[in-house]
Amino acid sequence: MNLGTSAEQQELRDAVRRFLADRAPLPRVRELMDTGSGADPAVWQQASEQLGLPGIAIAEEHGGAGFTFAEQAIVLEETGAALYGGPYLASAVLAATALTASEDKAAMADLLPGLAAGTTIGTLAFTEDDGSWDPGTGQLAASRAGGGGGWQLDGHKSFVLDGHTADLILVTARTAAGLSLFAVDATAAGLTRTALPTLDQTRKLARLEFGAVPARLVGTDGGAGPALAHTLNVAAIALAAEQLGGAQRALDMAVEYAKTRHQFGRAIGSFQAIKHRCADLLLEVESLRSAVTFAAAAVADGSPEVPAVASLIKAYASDTFFHVAGENIQIHGGIGFTWEHDAHLYFKRAAASQLFLGDAAYHRERLADRIGL
Amino acid sequence: MDLDLGPEIAQYRAELRNWISAEAPEGLAGLTDWNLTAIPGGYREQSLGAALAHPAYAEWAQKLAAARLICPQWPAVYGGQGLDGVRVAVLNEEFHRAGLPRVVRGMGESLVGPSIIVHGTDAQREHFLPRIISGEDTYCQGFSEPGNGSDLAGVQTRGEVDGDEIVVTGQKVWTSGAHRANMMFVLCRTDPSVPKHAGLSYVLIPFTGPGVQFLPIRQMSGAAEFAEDFLDGVRAPLFNVIGGLNNGWRVAMTTLGHERGGRATTAYLRYEREFWDLAETARKHGKASDPLVRQDLARAWTGVQLMRFTGLRELAQVAEGRPPGPEASVSKLFWSEYHKRLGEIALGITGADGLIRPDGDGYPVTEWQNVFLSSRAGTIYSGTSEIQRTIIGERALGLPKEPKAPGQDKTQSGARP
Repeated sequence: MNLGTSAEQQELRDAVRRFLADRAPLPRVRELMDTGSGADPAVWQQASEQLGLPGIAIAEEHGGAGFTFAEQAIVLEETGAALYGGPYLASAVLAATALTASEDKAAMADLLPGLAAGTTIGTLAFTEDDGSWDPGTGQLAASRAGGGGGWQLDGHKSFVLDGHTADLILVTARTAAGLSLFAVDATAAGLTRTALPTLDQTRKLARLEFGAVPARLVGTDGGAGPALAHTLNVAAIALAAEQLGGAQRALDMAVEYAKTRHQFGRAIGSFQAIKHRCADLLLEVESLRSAVTFAAAAVADGSPEVPAVASLIKAYASDTFFHVAGENIQIHGGIGFTWEHDAHLYFKRAAASQLFLGDAAYHRERLADRIGL
Repeated sequence: MDLDLGPEIAQYRAELRNWISAEAPEGLAGLTDWNLTAIPGGYREQSLGAALAHPAYAEWAQKLAAARLICPQWPAVYGGQGLDGVRVAVLNEEFHRAGLPRVVRGMGESLVGPSIIVHGTDAQREHFLPRIISGEDTYCQGFSEPGNGSDLAGVQTRGEVDGDEIVVTGQKVWTSGAHRANMMFVLCRTDPSVPKHAGLSYVLIPFTGPGVQFLPIRQMSGAAEFAEDFLDGVRAPLFNVIGGLNNGWRVAMTTLGHERGGRATTAYLRYEREFWDLAETARKHGKASDPLVRQDLARAWTGVQLMRFTGLRELAQVAEGRPPGPEASVSKLFWSEYHKRLGEIALGITGADGLIRPDGDGYPVTEWQNVFLSSRAGTIYSGTSEIQRTIIGERALGLPKEPKAPGQDKTQSGARP
């Protein structure tokens, strides 16, 4: 296992951070969060063509850059820090990982190059109205369509990340054989997509209704369980990397403010009430950074520790980002709870990230299970 | 899973592993769980005494000494082999893998030796360091005083020069290992006329013989791991003043920079073992399927693994020659707060059984009662959690210092007319 930081990785981090600061700064995030997609297509295109971000962890044979998840985690940390509203987590992580994990050579050859190039935006639809994050509980049904080899989907999905703007939707469904994965073209007949008003306006979710929607089976009929479990483990670690970026940025905001804001003739950061709070936050953020470094390397190495680490880190990252984002508001005092200040954007992202893919208590129970308790 | 630390380290690891399997005395690994021994607070040390007295241990200590594997991070000229932090970490990992003990020299190795190496004269290094390696000198620490705990620079113990000797008089407290020590490294005031950090000296005094008395301090756990010490005119040659008179504060603050990393990847292991013992306890008490207990255990496991991940990350940084990151400054706060919480979880898991102690004289306690009670000390000794948070806030985050209280950092009260 390699936990070091190569010069190449440092350059990647710097490049992504510069790019987002320049092309997707928080004032721009605020403008875009009121739009349907939450993102600027020109920025996504530039991120794809110039930086190759969507394909960074996709194999070269499928048009990607062939780096590992360790590099992708760096990108995610930066998109999380910037509250970038584009479909990076949905397309480059959820959709790309689900396709790759399916080991369906034909589907990978057909669909991964578009995701890698950023010309196709993908997502994974696996939750339904009941909000369960376990794809095995879904009711959406797939059945053989007509006489050919095709399939059709009937039912609904909800809480689908960028589901209303994606071009390619990977959908979990039940067949007679069991849990299966299907690819659906967003323009397919019978598919109705509704954007949902989200607590975190920088993160877009949609509800999808399927009425005899034509679909392509990805992987084997009834054989999607292990690939989906792996995909969701990787997604949890990816989200934790985003949460780390957001937590670090919120801590930086709080510390900066504590150094410059004066009350009672002193910088408020000189008071132990503030200083000790910040120290506790640093302990959590640094611990999370260690965990993300380890977890990303574990994914890159295909380590058997990935399932347990995924639940561990999703729980810890959720607690940490939320704690930091909340304290950031408190340390800012009155300005901290205004719409004008950016603190609430991080607080809402922290809350949304806490819930998405399952909250901390859910993942701690899974962790207990996965370590054999 | 080992960290990839490059081919040189991989070769060092392989050679070390071969040496260990060739040289380890038969049966030594089975004498006790050598990896379990030292959670601060005295977790399960019963079997250790017998193991340490076994001839296989003495044989092992001799082999380690011959191979310069005692205090191996010290320079070769003083009896070590100048191992860097990464190699010390590999050494710890390989000994752990083999289930064998390192032979360590306590505060002599971790605190006194480094201070002498950095601030001592050649003559002092030649005299004191080999005696630490051989075990001839065992040190205890004389820093804290009844009136000066967190505010260490306020020490009142006096050191007076008398010819070519220094005479130390005062009271020290919170001394661990006092009954095993024959030497004490003491911080004393040799010039009361200057601001408080400036008038201190770091002196190695005999801890046996005339003028030395110590009494055990019984803790809330019933154990007595610390002592209070009464020094009444204890004499040592001026040769035993390290770093020169009135330079003691700098000497006391010394750590060896190049030793970073040594325990980074093995320190968590004792907590991991303790966790599995607690999981077993939960099963025995029928609590392993209680959802709230499972949440607590998952949190505890997370704490243990975060220590592991942070250690791995730290070692990888050391191996790359990067400066210490903020993660290095949070470890004491992390493990002490973790262990306090673990004690609370453990007592809760034992349920009503936690109400009852074992029969016996004094105050015998169960394993988990002991963790519950003794872990309260961890967030206080070696710098309280509050001191740690202040250090982290000011040094790692760059937050402004608190304004000095009136009269702080002047001379000692009563020192001047």
